Amino acid sequence: MSHGHDSHELPHSHQKQYIILGVVLSIVTFIELGIPLIKGVPELWTAAKEVWAPLLVVLSIFKFGAVVGDFMHLRTDLTLYKILFVSPLFLAMFSFFAIGSLSIVHFHPFGKGYAITAQDLADGYVPPATGATAEPPLADDKFEAAFADAQKTSFAKGKETFTASCASCHRADGGGMPGLGVNLSDDCYKHGGKIAALYTTIAKGVSGTAMPAWQNSMDSEKMRQVAYYVRSLKGTNVAGGKECEGPKE
Amino acid sequence: MSAHADTLTHDSHEAHGHGALSENNFLGLPNIKLAMWAFLGSECMFFGSLIGTYFFYHGNSLSGPLPKDVFSIGITSISTFLLLMSSVTMALGVDAMRQQKPMKARTFILLTAALGACFVGFQVVEFHEFYTEKHLVFAGPNASLFGSTFYTMTGFHGTHVTVGVIWLLIMSVLITKKKLVPGKEAVNVEVMGLYWHFVDIVWIVIFTFVYLLEFLK
Repeated sequence: MSHGHDSHELPHSHQKQYIILGVVLSIVTFIELGIPLIKGVPELWTAAKEVWAPLLVVLSIFKFGAVVGDFMHLRTDLTLYKILFVSPLFLAMFSFFAIGSLSIVHFHPFGKGYAITAQDLADGYVPPATGATAEPPLADDKFEAAFADAQKTSFAKGKETFTASCASCHRADGGGMPGLGVNLSDDCYKHGGKIAALYTTIAKGVSGTAMPAWQNSMDSEKMRQVAYYVRSLKGTNVAGGKECEGPKE
Repeated sequence: MSAHADTLTHDSHEAHGHGALSENNFLGLPNIKLAMWAFLGSECMFFGSLIGTYFFYHGNSLSGPLPKDVFSIGITSISTFLLLMSSVTMALGVDAMRQQKPMKARTFILLTAALGACFVGFQVVEFHEFYTEKHLVFAGPNASLFGSTFYTMTGFHGTHVTVGVIWLLIMSVLITKKKLVPGKEAVNVEVMGLYWHFVDIVWIVIFTFVYLLEFLK
C-alpha cells in the first residue's frame, strides 16, 4: 500500500448509487411477484388481462438493463465491450424466436408412456418403488432395443385402439364425418393440437358433442398411444376429409 | 490514458509475471476484461439456446408432472431475492477494491459468496423435492420433455453459480494473503463481478419467463 500519492486519483465511489439501485431492483421484484397474485382478484385481473404478462416482461427487461448497465458498467464502458456483449445477445434472441417459430410437425417417436400425470396420481396410481425394491435398470444396448420395440408397439397399439374406438366417428383415416368427429388429418384443432392437449381432449371428452370422456373406459397408457397416433395424422390431409374446424396449429 | 501508463510503470517492477492476465494488451485494455466480455457474449447464446429449448418443448410433455404441478413460487422468490442482493454486494465489493480498500472488498466478496451458496442450497432442495416427491424425472423412459429441459436449463445455471462461489472464495483468500496488488489487480475482482452479475441476469430471465409467466396462464 505504498500508493499513498495515488489517493487523489482514486476512481469516484459509486457505493450510494449501488445501494439505491439495489433497493429499486428489490421493489421491482416485489411488484413482479405481486402480478401472479392479482389472479386472486378477478375484477382487477380481467380489467387489464392483456397487460399483466407484457408488464412482467417489461419489468424483467428493466432489471436486466439495470444490472448490465450499472452494476456491470456497460452503459458507460467502452463501445468494444458493448459490441462484444450486445451482438451475441441479439443473435441469441434471434435464434430464440427462429426456433420458436418452428413447430413440431413430425410424429414424435418417444414411445411408451412417459412419467406419471397429475391425473394418474389423482386416480390413485402408485409410482413404482425406487431403491432396494426397484428393478435393476437395463444395460444401455438392451434399453435401446426395448425402447425401440416399445415405440413400435406403442404406435401400432395406438392405431389399433384408434381403429377400434375412434374410427366410427373420425373415419379410419382420420378424415372425420359430417355431424360427428372432426377431421384429424388437417392442421386445425378445436381443442389444441399439442400432445398434452390431445391427451386431455381424449381423456375428458368434449361436452355437448359425441366425443366421450375416454378416461372412463381406457387407461392412461392407451390414451397416450392414441394421442401420439392422432398427432401423427396431422397434415396428412386425406381425400374427402371434413373442412377445417378450429384454429390452425 | 495517463492512468494506464501510470499503472504500467508501477507494475513493471512490482508484478513478477503473476499478473499477466490483468496486463493491458495492445489496445490499452486489460486482457482479462476483454476476454470476459467475449466469454459473456458466448454465454448469452449458450443460455439462449437452453431457455429456447425449454420453450420450444413447453406444453408438449405428454405426461406430468407439469410446471404448475411442481413450481412453488415462495421458495423461488426467496432464492431470487438472495441472488439479486448478491449482485448489490458484488458491486459494492468491486467498488471497495477500486477504492483500494481490500479488506472492505473482502467482506463484500464473502457476503456475495454466502448469498450465492444459499441460492445453490435452495436449488438443491428444490431439485430434490421435484425429483423425489413430484416425480419430475430428468432422463430415461420416465422423463418428460418438461423435466429434461427444465433440469438442463436450471442445472447449468446452478453450476454457474457454484463456479462463481468457488471463484469468490479463492479471491477472498488471495486478498487475505495480499496476493492481489490493490490498484492494478482490482480488475481481477471487477471481472469476477462481471461474471457474477451475468449469472444474476440469467436468473432474472429464467425467473420471469419460466416461473412467473407460468402462473399467469
